[in-house]
Amino acid sequence: MTLLWLRLAVILYGVAALAVLPAALYNRPRWRHIAIPAAFMGAFFHFVSIAETLYAAHRALPVDTHETLSMLGLLLVLGFLILAARYRTVSFGIFLLPIAVLLAIVPAFHPGHEQIAYPLVRTGWILLHIALLLAAYAAMFLSLIASLLYLIQERRLKEKRAESKRGWLPPLETLDQIGVNSLRFGLPCMTAGLLIGSVLALQSIGPAFFADPKVLLSIAMWIAYILMIYIRSNSGLRGRRAVYLSSFVFLVMVAVWAANSLSAVHRFKTP
Amino acid sequence: MSDLRIQAGEHSAPQTSPHGAKLLLLGVNHTTAPIAVRERLAIPGHRLADATRTLADQPGIREALILSTCNRVEILTVQDGVDQETAELRAGLQAPTLNVIKFLHDYLQIRETDLQPHVYEYRERDAIRHLFRVASSLDSMVVGEPQILGQVKQSWTVGREVGAVKTMLDPLLQRAFSVAKKVRTETQIGNTTVSVASVAAELARKIFGSLAGKTVLLVGAGKMSDLTARHLIHQGATTLLVCNRTEARAQAIADALRTPAITTGVIPLDQLHEQAHRADIVITSTGAGQIFTPESARAVLQRRKNRPVFFIDIAVPRDVAPEVNKVDGCFVYDIDDLQQVAIQNKAVRNREAEAAESIVTREVARYTDRISQAPVTESIKELLMGAEEVRHQEMARIIHQLSRDPLTPEQLAAVDRLTKSLTGKLLHPQIAALRDTASEPESDD
Repeated sequence: MTLLWLRLAVILYGVAALAVLPAALYNRPRWRHIAIPAAFMGAFFHFVSIAETLYAAHRALPVDTHETLSMLGLLLVLGFLILAARYRTVSFGIFLLPIAVLLAIVPAFHPGHEQIAYPLVRTGWILLHIALLLAAYAAMFLSLIASLLYLIQERRLKEKRAESKRGWLPPLETLDQIGVNSLRFGLPCMTAGLLIGSVLALQSIGPAFFADPKVLLSIAMWIAYILMIYIRSNSGLRGRRAVYLSSFVFLVMVAVWAANSLSAVHRFKTP
Repeated sequence: MSDLRIQAGEHSAPQTSPHGAKLLLLGVNHTTAPIAVRERLAIPGHRLADATRTLADQPGIREALILSTCNRVEILTVQDGVDQETAELRAGLQAPTLNVIKFLHDYLQIRETDLQPHVYEYRERDAIRHLFRVASSLDSMVVGEPQILGQVKQSWTVGREVGAVKTMLDPLLQRAFSVAKKVRTETQIGNTTVSVASVAAELARKIFGSLAGKTVLLVGAGKMSDLTARHLIHQGATTLLVCNRTEARAQAIADALRTPAITTGVIPLDQLHEQAHRADIVITSTGAGQIFTPESARAVLQRRKNRPVFFIDIAVPRDVAPEVNKVDGCFVYDIDDLQQVAIQNKAVRNREAEAAESIVTREVARYTDRISQAPVTESIKELLMGAEEVRHQEMARIIHQLSRDPLTPEQLAAVDRLTKSLTGKLLHPQIAALRDTASEPESDD
């Protein structure tokens, strides 16, 4: 049943991802009425699926890679829905919805069986650790997309083209606000997530934990994140330079994500 | 009354009003009448209810609606269909037209001769088509402008309040509103701006989103720059700074544009570069050469912490060096750029207008089909009900006759099915004939 809900969510995300194209690129408002409800219903079924999975496993957090990816997909769709409600734009869906489909399609059709090899997974603190870091990843991704869209809109305005299919882009200032606000939302999430993770690791592993490659990369990521917010807030960094900076921090985040294979702390095992 | 010839619709059309009523639309607009005529015909908002009531009270008029805007005055009526071959009837004119002309003559004291060359007339299907086009802004001076729909709705509200819009005009107008909405949502007819000032405001919105709280700096004085500044203020900009070679002139412009909601100020010309960072939008129209260069633009941006600046350069020769557009965060549009965007937008609008015309044509056909089928549907319903009544009576009679040796429930059901089937088959040719008759076009009058 859980898989059924997840598959249904993937199909709805797919519908939303397709509907958002004419809604945004061809400025056909009718398609918004398909894209947004489909994404909303998809998120609902996705949430039901995750809740059922966790309840059946007698735990409160995703622990295998696929579950975690799936939850990140859900967070991205929620980000899309929040932006659609707050800024009346569906443009972000062009990027966010297909990625949500990709993140959810693997656990929907090839559910994984890996688990973290620590008993801590049943505590509420580790749930917070994972949820907060996933929220920070999603916020960073949103910020990157906002920067990219800013670049496209800036070029369009500089090239002085008439209203075309790309009239779908939100105004530059709105894109800038989305980018900066996403980062400002992501920073406390990342800070709290890393702090909770560090305290838990210290309790269960001890100081050796700080020599773990993933942990070192995470600290680097946190510093890069803070630097990026500082630079953007103080110098008003926009356009190309903002995209370069966001891309760099995003790459660091991907590296941190991918560092599980090097990590003793975050290593998954197959039961 | 003297002879009156009226521009009629292109072709006669089938009657689309039930019970012999005639739909007639008479009007003048910006293409047929100069403002001198339009202003004599215009009915101000506070007199609209009285005028509509008076029109609806005219003999022969069942329902009425008056649309009066700065670009058009139109009168839509539903009138008795019997042609009144009275002494009043003139060559080329029929009673319905005369009724409206008489109203205009009596209510507005306008002679027929003054109206003669300017009035157009549409009947039945043509009137419906014209109404749909007007509501969809396809007949407007600026095609796609959104105000006209609100004005038609206002006339409809007044017409309903005074009891002049009833069973025939009400559904027609509601259909016109939904057609207009369809045109807006299915085409991009209203999505582009076509004047230089509105293009500038639209571009500013693309950069800043809402213009609320934004500051506009006017460098130099000119009609076009003044108009653009007013447009930006109308769109929400709240602060206006004026910089001019003559400070008194700058002060005069600032004073003219100041309102309780708008803060204005004057910047001396020698402090322009020091103060320019205060503005989000800079409109230049001095023609004094390149006031803003890439270097000065970078300095402005630095003071603004890289918040974007929009330069609208209306001057010839240009006040802002074209290279400024290459500076990150600076957007420069000169008069040619703005006109070019306006022309491209007009082309987009015209292309969308063609799509909108197709929607209107389709919707007119759909609406007239529905209206012409309405009486037939009623007749078919009556025919079926009559047949069903006879069938029930016959069934009751046969059941009574067989009461000594009653039919089993299965037999009764079989007889019921048989009689239903027979009734349906016997009535089918008549129903088909009725439907065929309804779909055949009739000549008007």
